[in-house]
Amino acid sequence: MSRQTANVVVLGVAGLSLALLWLTPGALAGFLGLIGVALTAYLRPAMAVRAGSLALLALGFTLALSQVPRVSILFYGLVAVLVALITIPGIPRWIKGLLGVAVLLISVPIAGFNNTFFLELGIQIGIYAAMALGLNVVVGMAGLLDLGYAAFFAIGAYTWAIFGSPQAANFLSGSFPLPGNYFYLFMALAIITTAITGLLIGLPALRLRGDYLAIVTLGLGEVVRVLANNLDHPVNFTNGPQGITPVSRPDIGWFHSLMSSVGVELDARTDYQFFFYLLVLVIIGVVVLVNINLGNSRFGRAWIAIREDETAAKAMGIPMLGTKLLAFATGAAFSGAMGVIFAAQRTFVSPESFTLLASITILGMVVLGGMGSIPGVILGAAALTAINTDVLKSFSEYLNNLRQAGVLNLPNQVEPAKYERLVFGVILVLMMIFRPQGLIPERRHQLEIEEAKEAQQ
Amino acid sequence: MSATAVASALEVQSVSKSFGGLKAVNDVSLTVRPGEIFSVIGPNGAGKTTFFNLLTGIYEPDEGSVRFFGKDITGMSPDKVAAQGIGRTFQNIRLFAAMTVLENVLIGHHIHTHSSYLDAMLRTPRHLEAERRAKERAMELLDYMGLARRAGELATSLPYGEQRRLEIARALALEPKLLFLDEPAAGMNPQETDRLKEDVRRLRKELGLTIVLIEHDMSMVMSISDRIAVLEYGSKIAEGLPAEIRTNTRVIEAYLGKGAAGQAGGRA
Ligand SMILES: Nc1ncnc2c1ncn2[C@@H]1O[C@H](COP(=O)(O)OP(=O)(O)OP(=O)(O)O)[C@@H](O)[C@H]1O
Ligand SMILES: [Mg+2]
Repeated sequence: MSRQTANVVVLGVAGLSLALLWLTPGALAGFLGLIGVALTAYLRPAMAVRAGSLALLALGFTLALSQVPRVSILFYGLVAVLVALITIPGIPRWIKGLLGVAVLLISVPIAGFNNTFFLELGIQIGIYAAMALGLNVVVGMAGLLDLGYAAFFAIGAYTWAIFGSPQAANFLSGSFPLPGNYFYLFMALAIITTAITGLLIGLPALRLRGDYLAIVTLGLGEVVRVLANNLDHPVNFTNGPQGITPVSRPDIGWFHSLMSSVGVELDARTDYQFFFYLLVLVIIGVVVLVNINLGNSRFGRAWIAIREDETAAKAMGIPMLGTKLLAFATGAAFSGAMGVIFAAQRTFVSPESFTLLASITILGMVVLGGMGSIPGVILGAAALTAINTDVLKSFSEYLNNLRQAGVLNLPNQVEPAKYERLVFGVILVLMMIFRPQGLIPERRHQLEIEEAKEAQQ
Repeated sequence: MSATAVASALEVQSVSKSFGGLKAVNDVSLTVRPGEIFSVIGPNGAGKTTFFNLLTGIYEPDEGSVRFFGKDITGMSPDKVAAQGIGRTFQNIRLFAAMTVLENVLIGHHIHTHSSYLDAMLRTPRHLEAERRAKERAMELLDYMGLARRAGELATSLPYGEQRRLEIARALALEPKLLFLDEPAAGMNPQETDRLKEDVRRLRKELGLTIVLIEHDMSMVMSISDRIAVLEYGSKIAEGLPAEIRTNTRVIEAYLGKGAAGQAGGRA
């Protein structure tokens, strides 16, 4: 197809989608909009057309969501626009930035104010994306297979849950829960404690090679979960399987007045959700920055060298244990910080959130997205979180409705929501067969190639 | 340190290494002087690569000792050996496949890039300065090995000969005093081999390096080596000047089989 035709088709579909999304908002219009995003990505129209079409589609999804906030496909339309912005090369940086910020700070909140579930989804995606980015350092960059990553998430979550609730009064004198604003201090504390735990666990585990490391981390992950489950006696540290609740949240009076002053009046629940949404966005920003900075430093290069060829890396003077420990502790710290946010946002912590499946899911995000690739890992986190928390459930409901309407004659056992693990497994197997490098493969060298070209000009 | 102790860049004393029942290296001793180009030759499977691995810490010798400019480095881990100032290349090229040519050399410069973890994470001016200097040095070395224009390409996209040169550039980034080259000319065409010979001489002359190399290309070995050691079945069977090695009957036998010595010697 010629550039000319592509331009016309893409703009045509985008314009039509916008009109439909605006005038007849719903799943059908949303579907057309998604096709619009796909065409924009794959038809290769001119750059201006691409940017314009994505802007039109984002506008369309936003308008539709403001009218029918229960249709999740519209929300995934916004996610698709973000993914397109990240992955399509050639769109000028400032346009990407502007459009991305508009979607994250205007479109998603508009959707979320009408339906807090989208804010919740955004927060969950953010928390898992940040953790997956941490695991990306360990698995993606340094090539160390860690199957117990959720352990650090648990340690972070319990660090705040115990002291941010009456729980600590069981074994310490003093007044608990600590005031909500200690939350920020505990984020810093969790970063330090999980990094140290990472070092302690890593010290024996990282001396082992490949498969042994996987098994040891798997065991350690379970140890932490079992401890959380059983440390309710003789002294009640963790409150066992019941979990800890309520966990304090930071005081957001200032945030509330700030929002009112710009004309956004929210109820208390939405207010908190929006606050955590923004907090998670900021954290993702920081985490991405740290990931990029480390990746382009001697540390990131050393991690990748170890992943590529340990023997050669050693012969180049790179100390194995120290370099691996650094990767392990870095990943652990990311996970720990997210644990604190997780505890405060949910106000509830229990061992159930930190099972082996949690570790495997986060690993799945990294593998699915593309090991070592930052946009890939974020996309992987978004995809798996959405599938786990929304897509399968919606699909189950949809089937149920059909069943009740008598359209479909399915046995009751067919409930996609119950097959989360199966679907997850099938996705991973299909990925490994058809796209083992992940949705958005690592493109480290791209940067250097561009740098070298610039240098030559 | 006394003058006599420093008279050797490398002093290997009766090192041995067995794999199961196989004595891959058997009681080998030799001394390499500073600034020397020293070759280790021998038939396939003679134990040359294993010998290098013993000297660079990849294997620990069962017996014997290794001294580097007087310092005992026996049994040190490979990264510590490298940090002493010993660079090496590999017989089966081992570049970092996911990395660019420049990044490969930067890995070699890892221990000389002084930027702390915090500096790197926050991209402080100190970090940027350290990175800039490391890249500058890496580009210098690439230029030195004639690979500067390849800097941004993936290491594995280079033709074979250039990959071997890149391995040398990467080893040079360690700023070593001694360089081990394991069959650097393998897979090179005659022009590339000639250029390699020049490079090896240049490394010694301009950078003052001591160079120990394993090589099967006899014309190259004979023309650039100051001295040569010959291994066969893990043992050293000869050592001397190229002219001596060329006419040594044990060496000719090792290469051509028993009974060949007379004829080959006659022709020499
Ligand atoms: N890690 C190992 N485990 C067991 N045997 C080994 C190992 N490394 C080398 N060997 C054996 O030791 C002997 C010497 O091998 P080495 O690679 O050192 O020979 P080489 O002189 O470098 O040969 P070539 O000229 O073919 O490179 C061979 O018989 C080889 O099979
Ligand atoms: Mg060999």
